Amino acid sequence: MNSLIKLELARALRNRKFLFFSVLYPSILFLIIAGKSDSTTKVDGSGLTLPTYMMVSMASFGALTAVLMGNSERIAKERESGWVRQLRLTPLPGRGYVLAKTASAAVVSLPSIVVVFVVAAAVKHVRLDAWQWLALTGAIWAGSLVFAALGVAIGYLATGDAVRPITMIVYFGLSMLGGLWMPATSFPRWLQDIAKWLPTHAYAALGQAIEQSQAPHGKDIALLVAFFALFAGGAAWLYRKDTLKA
Amino acid sequence: MTTTAETTATDTVVGFDQVTKTYGNVRAVDGLTLALHPGETVALLGPNGAGKSTTLDLLLGLKHADSGTVSVFGTSPREAIVNGRVGAMLQSGGLMEEVTVAELVRLACDLHPKRYKAADVMARAGISQIADRKVNKLSGGQAQRVRFALATAGDSDLIVLDEPTTGMDVSARQAFWATMREQADQGRTVLFATHYLEEADAIADRVLVLHRGRLLADGTAAEIKAKAGARRISFDLEGAVDEAVLTGLPFLTSIDVSGQTVRIQSADADATVHALYGLGVYPRNLEVAGLGLEQAFVAITEAEEAKQS
Repeated sequence: MNSLIKLELARALRNRKFLFFSVLYPSILFLIIAGKSDSTTKVDGSGLTLPTYMMVSMASFGALTAVLMGNSERIAKERESGWVRQLRLTPLPGRGYVLAKTASAAVVSLPSIVVVFVVAAAVKHVRLDAWQWLALTGAIWAGSLVFAALGVAIGYLATGDAVRPITMIVYFGLSMLGGLWMPATSFPRWLQDIAKWLPTHAYAALGQAIEQSQAPHGKDIALLVAFFALFAGGAAWLYRKDTLKA
Repeated sequence: MTTTAETTATDTVVGFDQVTKTYGNVRAVDGLTLALHPGETVALLGPNGAGKSTTLDLLLGLKHADSGTVSVFGTSPREAIVNGRVGAMLQSGGLMEEVTVAELVRLACDLHPKRYKAADVMARAGISQIADRKVNKLSGGQAQRVRFALATAGDSDLIVLDEPTTGMDVSARQAFWATMREQADQGRTVLFATHYLEEADAIADRVLVLHRGRLLADGTAAEIKAKAGARRISFDLEGAVDEAVLTGLPFLTSIDVSGQTVRIQSADADATVHALYGLGVYPRNLEVAGLGLEQAFVAITEAEEAKQS
């Protein structure tokens, strides 16, 4: 299985478009959104400056891109092409394919988080304690597993033709409504009520709590765990259904 | 007891016992019972929808039988694959894209418990020259060779191929079967489905004819032809040809008259020719020939369909 992870990873690192969107694009967006603001503007109700706030949003967005975009499309296409069937004729355990995809996505999502942090610290002078940087990296990286599971579920749900639009809708919907592109506090009241139930909102809130030197809210963690169970359970169910159909 | 179990395990490579697989109300495989023995090269023949692919899927554990049992080397298909005893090349076997041929073959070798060296596998499959090419840039024939390399990445005892020469030109096809014969000569069991029926005739020791999910015939290519029992008789007649009279010939299964030339298919050529002279006509350029496997195959399946309707 290690050889499959290595090959998946080599392929992901060779794909310039994918690397641009998952590693560089979030940093560029960060600079566009946080670029004009000074370090004294506070985001409503958070006590954090806009650059500090958006750093976590964009790191979360980058990790989301890395784990969601590549996998859903690849899985749907490779199911259709028959590569998934071909792999089932090898001693590789059934789960091995999904695990290899998730593992390689997790490797790409790490630089996409770190690059945003480096850009925020260097260009917008975001300053945090050492434990906060480490906790942020760990929390955002671990939290991306929720969306990796979602990517796998979409990959097993959608056909090769439909997978890109479905992924795009889910991806932009979750990013925007979850407040990754602009603070959810700037939304109208009714939209905020929806946003706070989205996994992306809870995901970014994890990081923001760390920035505020607080323990993450129990509600956000519970929400992420619930979504993880939902997505992973759905992915497992769809995977089993696909295997029987084959 | 142990001895018996071991004997069964070694004597039967693949065993189907009353296997049925249904999709909706279509019986893709209908009470199929068969056994493959070590070292055989077996062709699986049948028209589209005969159940060939479903049979191979059941054999490889990609699908599960509704009833009956499938065993491979005395174990479940999946266990046989995990033990590295089966190498397979699927018709619909997609390949991982955006990686090179060498990387893909190396992956297959790594995954095989009794792996060969990737360089040797590529040399044998005739893809060493395209080792650095991206998989998504291959021609159809090249992709088939890569699939063959994946199926022979390790020392498997059974090789299963679903229409392996699709997309290959004649010389590539000949080269492919030469490679395949080497595999068989090393004592491996080879099972292949093909619609190039002359390949079954030329390569297989044994031919299984599948129709509507059932085994219609099982024997050597020569036996299959004999089972169809048909001969082709052709001759020229002088003067007007009275087709109605010719149609009355015994054992005649089909007749085609074009100008002075008559072509007849007969289930018993000797009797038909004898009766032909009895009609008082004088056939010239009389030829009696055996049918190719393809026509024999058509004859068997048509006879079966006639029985059913």
